[in-house]
Amino acid sequence: MKIGPINIPLKEDFSLKSILGFEKTPMNMLVAVLTLAFLAMFVVGVATYLMHGHHAYNVTREHPWGLLIAVYIFFVVSSTGFCIVGSLGDVFGFKDYMMISKRAIFGSIVTILAGFAVIAFEIGHPVTMLIYNVLSPGLTSAIWWMGTLYGIYLTFMIVEFYFLLNNNMQKARIFGLIGLLVGLAAHSNLGGVFGFLNARTISNGVFYPTYFILTAFITGIYLSFIIMGFRYKMNFDEKTKALLVGLAKIQTLLIAILMFFETWKMLTAVYGGMPNRAEVAEHIMHSGAFMYGEVLMGMLIPFTVMLLTKWRSVTTYVWTSVIGMVGIFFMRYDLVHDTQLKPLQMMKTHEYQLPPSWVEYFPSATEIMISLGGLGLCVLLYYVGTRAFNLDEEH
Amino acid sequence: MMANYAMAFDYKLCINCHACEVACKEENGIDLGAKNHRLWIDEDGETEGDFWNLARDKITFIQMQCQECQDAPCLKACPNGAIYIDDNGIVRLYKEKCDLTLACMKACPYDARYIDEKNAITDKCIFCADTRLARGETTTACQITCPAKLRYFGDLDDEESEISKILRERKHFTLKPELGTKPKLFYLE
Repeated sequence: MKIGPINIPLKEDFSLKSILGFEKTPMNMLVAVLTLAFLAMFVVGVATYLMHGHHAYNVTREHPWGLLIAVYIFFVVSSTGFCIVGSLGDVFGFKDYMMISKRAIFGSIVTILAGFAVIAFEIGHPVTMLIYNVLSPGLTSAIWWMGTLYGIYLTFMIVEFYFLLNNNMQKARIFGLIGLLVGLAAHSNLGGVFGFLNARTISNGVFYPTYFILTAFITGIYLSFIIMGFRYKMNFDEKTKALLVGLAKIQTLLIAILMFFETWKMLTAVYGGMPNRAEVAEHIMHSGAFMYGEVLMGMLIPFTVMLLTKWRSVTTYVWTSVIGMVGIFFMRYDLVHDTQLKPLQMMKTHEYQLPPSWVEYFPSATEIMISLGGLGLCVLLYYVGTRAFNLDEEH
Repeated sequence: MMANYAMAFDYKLCINCHACEVACKEENGIDLGAKNHRLWIDEDGETEGDFWNLARDKITFIQMQCQECQDAPCLKACPNGAIYIDDNGIVRLYKEKCDLTLACMKACPYDARYIDEKNAITDKCIFCADTRLARGETTTACQITCPAKLRYFGDLDDEESEISKILRERKHFTLKPELGTKPKLFYLE
């Protein structure tokens, strides 16, 4: 397709018919039905939000950020992860990883778009945000840097993807490298949003800005396994196997580093019993979302399976990556929730009741519907992309 | 001549009548509802003893509202530059710039902000700047309503003001001073 000087090489058979003409296997049908159901939920969730505003959410004065912020972070972390994996081949020149570059860069675009779609219904005035982010930038605000840099990052990813589609590897490398650097800066600023919270000792400090980059890489590899499993229907050729074995080895190392990070974060948080920090850390460690979600699903299961199978069973890693992504979701959810667990003051809002020890939060149906809708949107965009563009490596 | 407004509390005199909350809501048109408040009363300590023999004498009531930080975390966290300190030293908001990211609510160490649904902004105590101060009065609604007369409001830069005098005469502290926010709300010992 040509638009002026811009040439977008679409697949010749790209049409509504090709989108609907997928193989009707039980797994494909399940994914299709779930995607449609999630999209329907998105419509219902957004309509509910437009009618009732933030009343449709379970966020409160004490817990102003809820599930939608967590899901936004989940998607942008996924985007940065895809960008890192995609850059291994086309930016850093690792030949084995070249075959996933185009697919991963496209993944980075659709995941960040899904993230923006979700956050648009969390921010009260998204249009005001766009206007005054430009007219009166808050340069001391990590959110301003994060949002602005992500906007620039998205532009670079789109340009890089365009050059990849047109096999212009030199320009793709330049835009890819700048996009990667901007993306990493944006992502560490997202960590800074939490790292700058002086009032919340569990979150304040250098941990989150660095941890975000590490977990982005891990997320990118989990997602790479999933999209490659989807692409090759689990029948991998030797070249793809070599790619996935390489990624599995990197993943094992990264998860080991993450476990090391997390262990020391919790030990330093608990050590000495510092008020507000130690009790919050202990509370987190006793929660199912942390132990079963973050630790077991996000780290231990994929790590143990990869070690036990000695990086040979790549089809298994596709499934452990699905488990890993559930764990990654809990990492994001816990990040948002845990940094608001401790009441800042003794919030006695009702007479003759003791002030609460912990701030309670559970997402509302509307929040859950919009979040699942974001997932549906992401899967739909990705699937349409696979039908529209040739995402495989061209020789 | 602009002032540098601040407030001091003789907090141990509080009888927890909540007249300040009611006066604030009335004066500034705050929405009804327990969650919508610019100021509130915290309890430090708990009721002790068993039923029929309960003791509440160990409880101290602490007046809470925006601490008017001179180094305000909400101001730094706002992505739109919507928060500023006005000529009277009060942390204010350009209402048209607020996008309800809620970064200010998350950054505030004192839980001072809430969502004002009527105006779709984050709101907090501004020392009645849009009402009483705008009318030329130099008192706040909570201050003149308090039956215990525990609130002192005035210009810190004026050495002859009541608040300057009482801060010179009596020991006082601020909340969470370790965070370096430099609050302008002082609690008298």
